[in-house]
Amino acid sequence: MRPTYPNEGISVSSTIMTVDDSPSMRMLLRAALTDLGYTVLEAEDGVQALERLDGVEPDLLITDINMPRLDGFGLIEKVREQDRHRNLPILVLTTESSDEKKQRARSAGATGWIVKPFHPDKLAAAIRRVLH
Amino acid sequence: MKGAVRTADGLRRITIMQGETKVSDDPDAVLTTVLGSCISACLFDSVAKVGGLNHFLLAEPGSGETDVTSLQRYGVYAMEVLINAMLAMGATRTNLKARIYGGASLRDGFRDIGTTNALFARRFLRDERIALVGEDVGGYGARRVEFRPTLGLARCRIANIRPVEQLRVTPVPVPVAAVGDVEFF
Repeated sequence: MRPTYPNEGISVSSTIMTVDDSPSMRMLLRAALTDLGYTVLEAEDGVQALERLDGVEPDLLITDINMPRLDGFGLIEKVREQDRHRNLPILVLTTESSDEKKQRARSAGATGWIVKPFHPDKLAAAIRRVLH
Repeated sequence: MKGAVRTADGLRRITIMQGETKVSDDPDAVLTTVLGSCISACLFDSVAKVGGLNHFLLAEPGSGETDVTSLQRYGVYAMEVLINAMLAMGATRTNLKARIYGGASLRDGFRDIGTTNALFARRFLRDERIALVGEDVGGYGARRVEFRPTLGLARCRIANIRPVEQLRVTPVPVPVAAVGDVEFF
């Protein structure tokens, strides 16, 4: 019989939702974030992220920009329209690095911008900074 | 355009170097590259008549980043840059088809980089549900690839039989200054 633990079922780690249309990128992020001890939720585009955010309250959202249906800019704007997610930190993780796009993300309500390919140590430092 | 040469057949040849990506919807364009252990993925959308190719090496031996995840980060990045450029030119993700070339064997004492590159490319395409419709990978020779982006047709020839080591060029990695850069608003 499987032993039970007093804290079983109680999440003690922070939860991060990753939004990226690339399964490969979601797998890389899941591996990196799980290694860091975080619980990971995933969505494959902005529309699915909004649906999933209905039922959960992650501690951080990490989103790509170029995605079908609803891109990262649209997702950030929609999330910020909801009172309950007003203070949710949102990090953009993208191959893009133009000032114009950064400015758009900033206006939409993003917390920060990380250029791919991400370095696990830099990603970890950025996450710690916005979670505390 | 820099690097483009119009030849007698009226086609415009554009050479892609290691670390570069090029996408085109020009029916007269030929994207061409020479590969040793590196990989080129040729992607095309036959509906939008857009195609492109990249040319990448997962990582240099001795760069310190030899664990599987580090290698994959470079590959996933190189592929994402190509896919995003394709989508920006009007391609649709579900229409994308792929050919892969390169990945010649080059033993550096602890692993076969070419084989690692080819395995990565195949796995990436499978994970991303992009159909692999043609490939010429492995072996020991260098390859010259010529790709017609709007037709999705590629020609791959063994460029010569010199050991691929002699054809290796200094890697042009992803823009290092920007890699993993973090900016808070």
